[in-house]
Amino acid sequence: MQVYTGPWTKAEAAHLLRRTTFGATNQQILTAVSNGMSATVSSLLQIPVSDEPLAYDAGETIVAQGTSWVNAVYPANQTQNQQTENARFKSLGAWIAKNMNQEQLCIAEKMAFFWQNHFGVTATAEARAMYHFLNLLRQNALGNFKQLIKDVTVDPAMLLFLNGATNNVYSPNENYSRELLELFSIGKGNQIATGDYSTYTETDVAAGAKILTGFTVNGIRSSTVTQATTTFMPLLHDNTAKTLSYHFNNQVITAAGATEYANYIDVIFSQPHVAQFICSKIYRYFVNYDITPSVQTNVIDAMAQTLITNNYEILPVMQQLLTSDHFYDMSVRGAIIRNPLEMIMGAMNPTQTIPNFGLVGDYQTYISIYYVADTMGQSYIVPPSVAGWLAYYQAPAYSKLWINSTYIKKRFDIVSALVYTGVPIGTNVLKMNLLGFLNGLSDPSNAPQVIDDICDVFFPKAISLTDKLTLKAILTGGLPDFEWTIQYNDYQANPTNTTYYTPVTQRMQALMNVILKMPQFQTI
Amino acid sequence: MMKRRDFLRRASLASLSLPFVSNGFSMQAISKELFDFSKNAEDRVLVLIRMNGGNDGLNMVFPVDQYANLMIQRPNILIPQNQLLNLSSDLALHPKMTGMQDLFNNGKLTVIQNVGYPEPNRSHFRSTDIWSTGSLDVNQTSGWLGRYFDSNYPNFPADYPNANFPDPFAISMGSEVSTTCQGLMGNFSHAVNDPFNTSNLLLTSVTNDGTYYGSHIEYISTLINQTNEYGTSISASANAGNSLSTMYDPTNPLAVQLKYIAQMISGGLKTKVYIINIGGFDTHDSQVDQTNLAEGNHANLLKMISDAVAAFQNDLQLLGLEQRVAGMTFSEFGRQIASNGSFGTDHGDAAPIFLFGSCVNTGIIGPNPTIDNQINEQAGVPMQIDFRNIYASILRDWFEAPEASIQALFEQNITYLDVLSGCSVGIAELEEQKLNPIIYPNPAPSNVTLRFVGKGEQYQIFIIDEQGKVLLKPFEGFLAAQQHDLPLETSKLPSGHYYALISATNSRELVAFQKI
Repeated sequence: MQVYTGPWTKAEAAHLLRRTTFGATNQQILTAVSNGMSATVSSLLQIPVSDEPLAYDAGETIVAQGTSWVNAVYPANQTQNQQTENARFKSLGAWIAKNMNQEQLCIAEKMAFFWQNHFGVTATAEARAMYHFLNLLRQNALGNFKQLIKDVTVDPAMLLFLNGATNNVYSPNENYSRELLELFSIGKGNQIATGDYSTYTETDVAAGAKILTGFTVNGIRSSTVTQATTTFMPLLHDNTAKTLSYHFNNQVITAAGATEYANYIDVIFSQPHVAQFICSKIYRYFVNYDITPSVQTNVIDAMAQTLITNNYEILPVMQQLLTSDHFYDMSVRGAIIRNPLEMIMGAMNPTQTIPNFGLVGDYQTYISIYYVADTMGQSYIVPPSVAGWLAYYQAPAYSKLWINSTYIKKRFDIVSALVYTGVPIGTNVLKMNLLGFLNGLSDPSNAPQVIDDICDVFFPKAISLTDKLTLKAILTGGLPDFEWTIQYNDYQANPTNTTYYTPVTQRMQALMNVILKMPQFQTI
Repeated sequence: MMKRRDFLRRASLASLSLPFVSNGFSMQAISKELFDFSKNAEDRVLVLIRMNGGNDGLNMVFPVDQYANLMIQRPNILIPQNQLLNLSSDLALHPKMTGMQDLFNNGKLTVIQNVGYPEPNRSHFRSTDIWSTGSLDVNQTSGWLGRYFDSNYPNFPADYPNANFPDPFAISMGSEVSTTCQGLMGNFSHAVNDPFNTSNLLLTSVTNDGTYYGSHIEYISTLINQTNEYGTSISASANAGNSLSTMYDPTNPLAVQLKYIAQMISGGLKTKVYIINIGGFDTHDSQVDQTNLAEGNHANLLKMISDAVAAFQNDLQLLGLEQRVAGMTFSEFGRQIASNGSFGTDHGDAAPIFLFGSCVNTGIIGPNPTIDNQINEQAGVPMQIDFRNIYASILRDWFEAPEASIQALFEQNITYLDVLSGCSVGIAELEEQKLNPIIYPNPAPSNVTLRFVGKGEQYQIFIIDEQGKVLLKPFEGFLAAQQHDLPLETSKLPSGHYYALISATNSRELVAFQKI
């Protein structure tokens, strides 16, 4: 896989930012152009620590509004306990959306969702445990894949989700053991014999279940302890020797108590399929669903080799991919249909539409956005199954599955609301920052330049000159370009005078209402 | 729900219940028949033609009595007086507007002069918003028709379309929904480029270039079009509809769109409002052809409108739809009185608008603008009639909205004009029908003319007031079996509503008019 050495223009920079963030402004694209590919990618791959979610809902009865609840006990009273749990989950959902609505560009949220999709964990545990699980994914998103799987394996949220917490020597439960192989690490290949899936067999599933016995989770929604914790109970662990299948060279995992699972994962990761499997998923998520023989040879194999060479560190793989010539190939531009949060944030972030309603108002806004995405098929902490969202694995449609006749209408409805009436949230109304967006473009008084910039921001490929003229006519109301210039300059001279900013706003409303409903916008 | 004509609301029921008897006919009995439109308000259609860019009203409707001073102010663009098309002794149309002149002569065109609003704004964008919202309040974001629709259909768009309302309330021809129809929660207008091909909702092209991207946008555009809830009913109506006029010029873009509208209406579409946007009126330069002032960019636009509206009206007549459709032209502002050095005009203030259709009150509303021989730099035509009063009057007269609910849609106290008091018919139809008189101009500041087809018998003409009291008897005598234009001496009547009663041995006809 060659390093990309072609032109580095707005088109390439915008492509990179569309794939690695939830939306960039025109200025951020220009900055990426001037910084160059290498520096931009390096910058994107630095993941800062995220602020913790804060209490805002009245149902929270333990911590004060505006403070973190992620290490706080629950009320003893059953009713209050449930109210607090509901309030914390709302705060968590809002926190997820809030993280995506950041001005600073980095790959953190895209990677975090990659892993959330990869592990497919539904929040069956408590809000605290789910937060810590999500934070584990986010903070280690570019870290060591092998270590991440080890951490996830004994994480309280995962132990509760896939029954690891009740998997013991007396009643082994294969649920996590099976998904560890099938979905999380080595991946399931074609069935080549009864119980043999090319990469592992049913023997391995059964052996794995025994290896993973003995972990329990304590402190769920406890009024006395501040964390749900994982405890290894030696008495519940199966201390027999476990023999793996020929896929793992019939290796024997000997009893090793609390660290036995880690030894098992090391064995799994000794197989090259692991790197192939995760690199294929990374490719589908960041580049394109279609892994052709050529892509397999030239891209996936190269990524897998990088992953193995670097002892399963994800960062070098991402660095390689995002600076590769294949990543910028015209054939893969716009090859992904936005998921709902990419669509909503893809409208909000480039326009710097950021709620500023105070703590409670902001969190209410973000949980509303979370719910809107939910109605479009993406509830972040409730994936449709442990396999994640269909759009990332279901051939042949893949990301087309994000859009159907119901979902497209919802996408249009949220655009109409943001652009025109605003989305009412409690006493606040979230409206698109149309004037701020316009003012941030490179030459707002120049109608053709406004259209060029907007197309750069929102469309993955150039549209035709005719289409640009159609869009420009919407902006100018069909008038000559100079009339827009006059109008815009009048507004600039009188920026707080409604007589001047309202007409400009209305033209931008008409334009953005069209832009954000064009099929081209639905792709990244 | 059938509502009585607004006219009957204004004339109190008590007074009408006093039987006015002439030759044995009760006025109460005949007035109902005469003053009801042929169809009820639910079937009526309003067509709005927006002249985008600021139309030079003084180069469209000429106050001939001001010609000398117009020549001082705009010598390089003023069309020679002898080329103008007379509407009356002191008002004339642009030479290219022969179609509009014919409509006027057939009682199907009203000119409302000096239309604007207080404290005019010469920004295209702001003034368009003012005309679209029907409000001078910069914070008003809903359109005047949007508010009207909201007041009748408060759950739009959530509950629409449905079995009772399968069709869009309004159609905006072209690619952009009209701000006039912006409601609180949604826009009541549906953008239609081509009613025969509603499967394509997209404004811009979608080309599958064979890449993954091309496949995606093709897939999404297909889905978008499948969710086009109104598309089926629109295209079904267009296909079921008809167009009979041969006057449409297929190279006239307005004519093409008006023909579409005729086809949709005749095909049974229940849409109440159609909006067409025609651009090009921002004539800062080359408004006229320097070598022939009656030609040029503005002339072409006016010809386009005049020809298209005449064809449309002809079509409606042939389709038997004339009494269901009324239209209005408007522009965000007029232009300055003085021309500029580029054979053009700059942004101004008030301008005339047209109402057209067989049900408009024929004539000329409002006096000619006064053009002084010396004017201030940048002077526009001052506003005399507030456009919002015209909107309100259309809602009252045409859609039969109650006055109280109309007032709630507008910020200013409404002064109504009688714009659509009764349907009249053209000469061709008059010849086929028994009488169907019209009075023009109406409303009228002075004398009026009564036009009707005689049957070759003895006639008496009475002028009566709203209480049925005979005030004048301006004519008595034999009238041959042909069309007659009888001048009626009404200049001395005080302002108010009146009727002319045409009485013959075997027929009685009543026609309403307003003295202003």
